[in-house]
Amino acid sequence: MYTIALVGNPNSGKTTLFNALTGSNQHVGNWPGVTVERKEGKFRFKDQFYKVVDLPGTYSLGAFSEDEIIARDFILKGDPDLVINVVDATNIERNLYLTTQLLEMGVKVIVALNMMDEAEQRKISFDLANLSVKLGAPIVPVVASRRKGIEQLLETAVSSIEKQLDYKVFISYGRELDGKIARIEKVLAQKEVGYPSHWLAIKLLEGDEYVLDLVSESDLSPRELELLSFSRQNGAYELELVDKRYEFINQITGSTVFRPQKPVQIKTDKIDKIVTHKYLGLPIFGLIMLGMFQLTFVLGEDLLGDSVADAIGIFGEYAEALLLNLNAPAWLGSFVANGVIGGVGAVVEFVPLIVILYMLMGVLEDSGYMARAAYVMDNVMRSLGLQGKTFIPMIVGFGCNVPGIMATRTLESKKDRMIAILINPFMSCGAKLPIYLVFIAAFFPNNGGLVLFLVYSLGILIALLMGKIFGETLFPGEVSHFIMELPPYRKPTLRNVVRNMWDNVSGFLTRAGTTIFAVVSSLWVLAVLPGGVQPYGPESFLGRIGLLIAPIFRPAGFGNWQAAVGLFSGIAAKEAVVATLGMVYAGVEEGAELVAAIKAAFTPLTAASFMIMTLLYTPCAATIATIRKETRSNVWALFTALYTFLIGWVMAVLVYQVGSFLGFA
Amino acid sequence: MLKELLKAVRDGDYVSKSALAEQFARPVPFIEAGLAELVRMDYLQESENLQLCDLPCGKCPYTGFCSQTPFKTITVTEKGERLLRTLSYKETRP
Repeated sequence: MYTIALVGNPNSGKTTLFNALTGSNQHVGNWPGVTVERKEGKFRFKDQFYKVVDLPGTYSLGAFSEDEIIARDFILKGDPDLVINVVDATNIERNLYLTTQLLEMGVKVIVALNMMDEAEQRKISFDLANLSVKLGAPIVPVVASRRKGIEQLLETAVSSIEKQLDYKVFISYGRELDGKIARIEKVLAQKEVGYPSHWLAIKLLEGDEYVLDLVSESDLSPRELELLSFSRQNGAYELELVDKRYEFINQITGSTVFRPQKPVQIKTDKIDKIVTHKYLGLPIFGLIMLGMFQLTFVLGEDLLGDSVADAIGIFGEYAEALLLNLNAPAWLGSFVANGVIGGVGAVVEFVPLIVILYMLMGVLEDSGYMARAAYVMDNVMRSLGLQGKTFIPMIVGFGCNVPGIMATRTLESKKDRMIAILINPFMSCGAKLPIYLVFIAAFFPNNGGLVLFLVYSLGILIALLMGKIFGETLFPGEVSHFIMELPPYRKPTLRNVVRNMWDNVSGFLTRAGTTIFAVVSSLWVLAVLPGGVQPYGPESFLGRIGLLIAPIFRPAGFGNWQAAVGLFSGIAAKEAVVATLGMVYAGVEEGAELVAAIKAAFTPLTAASFMIMTLLYTPCAATIATIRKETRSNVWALFTALYTFLIGWVMAVLVYQVGSFLGFA
Repeated sequence: MLKELLKAVRDGDYVSKSALAEQFARPVPFIEAGLAELVRMDYLQESENLQLCDLPCGKCPYTGFCSQTPFKTITVTEKGERLLRTLSYKETRP
């Protein structure tokens, strides 16, 4: 029975072809000594049985990975009668690299040029006859997923096995290297190493450790070993050899593979020249963000604090009435209506607006613009002496600071990482969004986009400023360098945009149903106790806590106890700020709407000061715990909690005092 | 070409495969293959923030957000820097 080995790059459709050939006649095991899966099968063609071995997907036959070693060992030691190299037609240049290595091994290879349908869709065409001649191996076009071309592939395979043809490709590596290869080959040809000497010579020059060990074990004289000694120069010729292989591929595909000029790529480069421009890049980024926030309010204007808030209000009243009809105790009705529905509902009523914002963010992400934004910010950060890569955890921090801080693990230097951790809380996380929205609805409904833009920008600005200060004081040292890849622009797909939105909104709703519910429930208990005092009043435990803290915020203009407990609850979870405000205001006056209550308790100036405080002050408990875990230090966690509070307080006081001085009070 | 590609990556402001394709007069898949090879041979290191999914934040409701951040950054490794230093030494040698 003849043995055929299937070799190919990962995702080249190798396993699809294996299944198409063998059907259910296959079994799966492991390669000896490793956990890599070994698939074998049988098929019958023209009254003859063939064994097929599906080798691990690999890009090369070097010694960089277990898969590469398994594949090449089987080809060289497993003695297959034929190797079918599955090549992805849409990515032929990269796939042929493996083909050239197979051919250099001196084994019989036929190329199954797979995914021809996809290549056709992408308008890639081939001169297969010419390519086959230049490559030195038969090429059969197939679509393995639709079993197209399988018959012809098998015909070619059978005739190749039976004809005992000698397939070999000669790649010239230049005069110097060709000379070296010839000299090594001559030495090895006289030994019994068990592998083709031409291939061994190339591998030795690549510095392949596995082959070096193999050759060293054979019986070589000191002079012969000396001849091979230049192979041990840490793979000094490795890149040269790979380069020449690619040159060879370029030569043979240049006149045989035809791709359409991609106008999208040309367009991408033209757009990039403008949006990543040294001076224009940052203003363009600012304008795009401003546009996104403005559009959010234009599209969601009718939803802001109106219909959803009304629905939640009606639902609260209905739930309380229902509980009273069921003879439930009054405290339960109050808990459900004012605590749960008043609190959690206050957050939920902004979900429609959040949906719009995240959909627009999804459009930016899916179009490829966000990578440009990170690049633009990278330039800004580098000019401040900060590691540009820091901006990536910062962008993640816009969703939630916890993964934002964890994302700093991608930063190699300790200096970069510590700075990135300490400034991440200034990135306005998604949980703070309802706070801004409720205050915008109350005071700045006509300039919502601009206010939101200013709040987010202030967060970034303070983060950069603090990063610069930390970089020069606490963590001096060199900034490491990285390069960002800018993918081509593409048309955002509805699927990706909706998925992006859903990932964020579902996370938001989950938090509303769990963390916020728990915080609000605890605060409700504090708001109605002790018995005999006015629930939700200043005499309640919650009111007393608020009154105790409130003086701290008097210089910032919002020294009332409700605002103080709101900020206090925000240390547990930022969503709880609005939930707490919703609960304390809904409780005081039956059916009171949060936006109306905020309007009565704040002024535009104190609202601005409060928003800045919430933007910058102490991060939530989960973030502090993550900082502690990631820095392995209580000191840094405490430092972050305190210094962010101080920055927030100073900025809020500054805004209120300067605003008052200028007559905005 | 790979050495030149490595140098272009190191010296460039950013990596745009289409811009590199134009610079080297090669098709984009060729540049992709070259970059992949440089990564495979440890001259370059790629870091995709998609790897954030591997972080132990599976229970976090915002996991979805961090797994989608579409950034790919490239760093020239110590091995790559060593090669580039050697190349620049050869170029400046009289």
